[in-house]
Amino acid sequence: MQVTGMRYGKQMLDLADFPTPKVLFENATLEELDKMMKEQGKCVIKPIFYGGVGKKGKAGLVQIANSATDAFSAKRKLYFAQHFFHNRLIQANGVTFEEFIPSSYEIYFNLSVSTFSRKVNFTLTHHGGIDIEELGPDKLYEGTFDSITGLKTYHIVDALSHLNAPSEIISPLAQQLPKLWNLYNDFGFTMIEINPIRMKMINGRLVPIACDFKAQFDRDNKQYKRLNLPEEIFATELSQFEEEINQLRTHQGQSDVVVVNPFGTVTPFMFGGGANSAATEILSEKATISSDFGGNPPYEKMYEISKIVFKYWLKQTNVLLIIGGKANNTDIYVTFKGMFDALRDIISQSGKQDFYVVVGRGGPNLIKGMSYARDILDNFSIPYKFYGYDSSMVEVVQYASELDDWFISQKGELK
Amino acid sequence: MSKFNKPFNYFVGINSLEEIATRESKVLVMNILGNESKNVTPISHIFSGGNIVAGVQYGRPGKIKTDLGEIPVYSRVAEASKQHFFDTGVIYLPPEAVFHAVTELCHYNAINLKKIVIVTEKLSVKDQRLIRAVAQANQIDVFGANCLGVADSWNRVRIGGALGGDKPDETLIKGSIAIHSNSGNFSTTIAEYLKTTGFGTSTIISSGKDVIIQFAVPEFLYAAQNDVRTKAVVLYIEPGGYYEKQALDLIQTGKLKFDKPIIACITGRWKSNLTRACGHAGALAGSGDDAITKEKWFDDYFETKPFSPENPEDVSTKGIRVVSIQHIPQAVKAVLAKCDKNTDFEPIGNLGLKPWFGNDFEKNLPLKLRIPTTQAIFPYNDEITKVNKELGTTFIKQNMRNKSGASKINDDTQVAELHRKPIVDLIEKSYEINIVFTLFKIFPQKEKEKFVSFILNYFGKPSNFEFEIIKKAYENKATPNQSLISALPISGNLSQNSKIKQNVSDLIEFIGELGIRNVNQEIDFEKAKSAAKEKFIQLTSDENPLTTFLFKMQKSCNFKSTFCSLLVNLAEENQNFMNFDFLTASIIVDLALESLILKRISRKNVIDSIDYFSLIAKTVFLSTINYQSNKKINEILQQTDLDLLTTSFTKVAYYSLFDEEPTSESLIEFSALLALTLTNGAGTISAKGAKESVSARNNLATIYAGYLSNTGLAHGGSGYEAIEYLLKSFEGTEIENPELNENEFSTLEIAKKSAKKFLSYKNAVKFSGEMSYERIPCINHPVFKGKKVNIDPREDYIRKYLEARNIKNVFWNFYHNLVEQLFNIGATKNTYCVNIDAVIAVISLKLMWKSFSNGKLTTENLQDIGFLIFLFGRTVGVSAEIIDHIERGTDMDCRTPQEELQFLS
Repeated sequence: MQVTGMRYGKQMLDLADFPTPKVLFENATLEELDKMMKEQGKCVIKPIFYGGVGKKGKAGLVQIANSATDAFSAKRKLYFAQHFFHNRLIQANGVTFEEFIPSSYEIYFNLSVSTFSRKVNFTLTHHGGIDIEELGPDKLYEGTFDSITGLKTYHIVDALSHLNAPSEIISPLAQQLPKLWNLYNDFGFTMIEINPIRMKMINGRLVPIACDFKAQFDRDNKQYKRLNLPEEIFATELSQFEEEINQLRTHQGQSDVVVVNPFGTVTPFMFGGGANSAATEILSEKATISSDFGGNPPYEKMYEISKIVFKYWLKQTNVLLIIGGKANNTDIYVTFKGMFDALRDIISQSGKQDFYVVVGRGGPNLIKGMSYARDILDNFSIPYKFYGYDSSMVEVVQYASELDDWFISQKGELK
Repeated sequence: MSKFNKPFNYFVGINSLEEIATRESKVLVMNILGNESKNVTPISHIFSGGNIVAGVQYGRPGKIKTDLGEIPVYSRVAEASKQHFFDTGVIYLPPEAVFHAVTELCHYNAINLKKIVIVTEKLSVKDQRLIRAVAQANQIDVFGANCLGVADSWNRVRIGGALGGDKPDETLIKGSIAIHSNSGNFSTTIAEYLKTTGFGTSTIISSGKDVIIQFAVPEFLYAAQNDVRTKAVVLYIEPGGYYEKQALDLIQTGKLKFDKPIIACITGRWKSNLTRACGHAGALAGSGDDAITKEKWFDDYFETKPFSPENPEDVSTKGIRVVSIQHIPQAVKAVLAKCDKNTDFEPIGNLGLKPWFGNDFEKNLPLKLRIPTTQAIFPYNDEITKVNKELGTTFIKQNMRNKSGASKINDDTQVAELHRKPIVDLIEKSYEINIVFTLFKIFPQKEKEKFVSFILNYFGKPSNFEFEIIKKAYENKATPNQSLISALPISGNLSQNSKIKQNVSDLIEFIGELGIRNVNQEIDFEKAKSAAKEKFIQLTSDENPLTTFLFKMQKSCNFKSTFCSLLVNLAEENQNFMNFDFLTASIIVDLALESLILKRISRKNVIDSIDYFSLIAKTVFLSTINYQSNKKINEILQQTDLDLLTTSFTKVAYYSLFDEEPTSESLIEFSALLALTLTNGAGTISAKGAKESVSARNNLATIYAGYLSNTGLAHGGSGYEAIEYLLKSFEGTEIENPELNENEFSTLEIAKKSAKKFLSYKNAVKFSGEMSYERIPCINHPVFKGKKVNIDPREDYIRKYLEARNIKNVFWNFYHNLVEQLFNIGATKNTYCVNIDAVIAVISLKLMWKSFSNGKLTTENLQDIGFLIFLFGRTVGVSAEIIDHIERGTDMDCRTPQEELQFLS
């Protein structure tokens, strides 16, 4: 769950009382733009992408205009701009017109959880505005602080002093940056990054202005809902299938899914994070989805999840794979009953029987669960192989993958 | 005792893995009665020699029983800590409550508390870091969250979650390998795999894989080094986090002395494509902690390539990385061999593919994919033998107060559904077929209707005493349901059916033992017959004419299942199988078999079904209007002409109300009417009467009385009001037979007159200042409204169904003209729909019309018959709710919770 840009960044920074530039959106009138130009001389036009989308500047998607007409022309160009990021082609939907802040300094600031310190770390440099990875360690300060008392003014002063930062920026940053901790700590963030913060001279004093915003939320921390951000800015990260499954997300049992390949031919029900990692890797593009349904889900949840999975993927499936290790606490009978009741109900309607079921599983009530599934499959004459935990899970997945190859070859011959 | 200085700039209390899970540790479990804990905790307690001293359940003190005695449960930690010493807290609470629980444990037991294990998943990152801050300040080691706890195979202790599952003895075998795993499931799976090369475990830590791991690899390696039992460690690692790098850096810089081999398995290369976590929350890498980078950390440390099963000697004494968990056992063996260390015991099993269940269904798979099934390992092989004998499902018990697995109202169509079938789909079926569907969730073949009717006619026969009760009740002006309530419960627990039930039970077991998993499955007949003779050795022929009759019926049936053919064959050859109870039981099992195999119904459901057949049929027979003079019903009940026992039960129900032979059209209408009243969802008060009686654990006859007590004149009242309205509207018309279409008898003028009458009545009432007025019954519907012309799709469907069979109904025509006229004269804002209740009214009135016109039926009879038609249908539908509630519900689950009650002064 990520947000980038000032479309919602300004809203959040305003909440923390952290200075921001003036920002207009795509519906700005010519008069409003003219006014911004007269006051600031220039404005920055950026496309709006939902979700976590970076490297826009490098992709030439950030433009600076000197007149309202130029700004409008940039808007036309950037409104539906396309951007290739994280192997995905993403399309913009709107633009922001942001006040241009002339500044001799560009500050980089980041707050995020560190697995080194197991606390929140802050990263600060006054050599910002560029990719932070490009900076040497002497130009970057990484510090941590007590999770309970939080980020304090002295942490910032210490950091900037360590970096030998110009004295004129120390006090303004020490005043403003700790405000971001309150935002971070109270609204479910796992990361806030501002790059760059530019220093604007106001009434003879430098004031830090956040000129971009990037954040990541913890989906298990509902505090983010207090920000009242529209759900669709996160929903764009999900497919319709994922969105439907997501409705069933509770703390009881996992229900994590990601679409791997909409044209995949192996549909895997994975149980446990380990099985998820191992099976996703082996199946790769063969898999329709990657999933984790472990954590002892109750029957109703498993039934509903399965119904959704079958609704979306059974039609194209050659191999239905149910894979997990030896469960510690997941009741195999309950989960199998949920899955196979749903399968039975779907097959009764659709009549689809041309697929193979492969199971690799262990755990409480294993035989009761397997025999339940066996009886249903026997009755529909759907072929199957069920392996216990004494067969290598990896080999079971490989077996499913080879079966899929065989199905594909058979279909090819039929053509 | 620590042999080394701790190389950490944070608190780590554990010095050696030996200290993590000991029998001396005393444990307090929070949310001990929660869903997960109540199953896991007793197993842990027994395995660990009774180390759990107490539990906490907020506001619900009590105790939890185990084979090692009871564990006391307190309402809060403060109380538990006064009564018991404990040094370890286990938390099973929901995520929002976990941080609070950590602070509570620290607050009330700061002096003794040494460890906290958090099982809960989906903890926020914020709570995880706050937990760390509080635990560090209080010098407490934390394991989890989102983990399965810790286990020690030497000490035979597990703390926290369910490591080793429900059979920890199977997995936690004493040995020399310590495991630290990001996956709880793999903690157990790796321990299982290790057995195949002869290795057991010392300590297993399920670390969880949240963003913050509280007891991570650096601390684990430090404690493993100090554990003399541990010869090597296995790490299962997923992307995300720098814990492993931190550990390797500490070793390589000499700050952490560690000289034992590491076998590391890193998965999740594919996850670098993800922008959000799937599976473990923390298994989402940034730029420098993805799977490939982590692989490199270890490869650099080991200074060798990953493990290759083909070249097992190519390993380092520092350890090796494996690309797949299945290589862990071989890699451990190879590395320890290089270090001159032996295995812990003889290898147990292997990891090759060994399917326990399989069926290719003649799929012509290539040779390498044709893997024959093998016998499962002990004790699973014994379990398979046992379950192979079982047919049918078992349901998961839960509170069923406002739930039903039998019926529902479809939100989109507003049509009631029974066993997922819309009732409009059931109108084409006979009453007896719908009875079987209700009980067994499956439609039998049409040819088997006569078997069903036989069972209903034969086993539904009431005793003379029951008829006497009915007679008395009617003399006292009892309503139909009241009369039935008086008579039905004297059936007691229907003990007369016990032999049939036993036979049903034996037959289901026999089919299970034969391995029949498809009704038409080919079997070895000779072998099956010999098994049957052995199984039913006690059976003797009863030389009953009914037995011969039943046998002939079965023999002449054209649609014999494998099972049915086998029985016919057996009875032909062996007189002992000519037994009435046995053959009746075989008919019941045959009717239910497909559903049993498909796991739609339970074995108990089929065993008890004879009681349902009896009571449903009894309801019909006992409701006979003027039963003493009803010739047809009396002939059937005499049971002298055996052929009459196969009379369609739809006809029997018709006879009981109308005492005449139905035409084929009226039988179609009557069946449709009975189907329509089967159910209107589990929220109806009739269904609730049954469910509440089940919840009080009554026997079946009393449950039916409970349902009947929750019916009354209000049921079918709407239909009766409509009949009354129709009678008034048609007063003075001389219709002999309502089987008329609009051309044969125009109802337009009657409709115009009725509409005008209604409008002037409505205006008069409004003029007088009254706000409420009597509506015309059975028009309009809260859902099917608002359009220019409204249609109730259920009514529309049935009308078209009957029209297609050229079945006409003058009263129905009238209703449609009426709604049009009401709109035309401005009495309604749009054309109302004719609703489903009108269907019941117009069909009922049509069926009763002739008898009513010729004086055979009185107005009182009309009311009774209207009510009885409803009861006939609903008794069947409610049977589905009864079965469902018995199967899934719990005792007293229909109690209304205190917080939902209101006191009105």
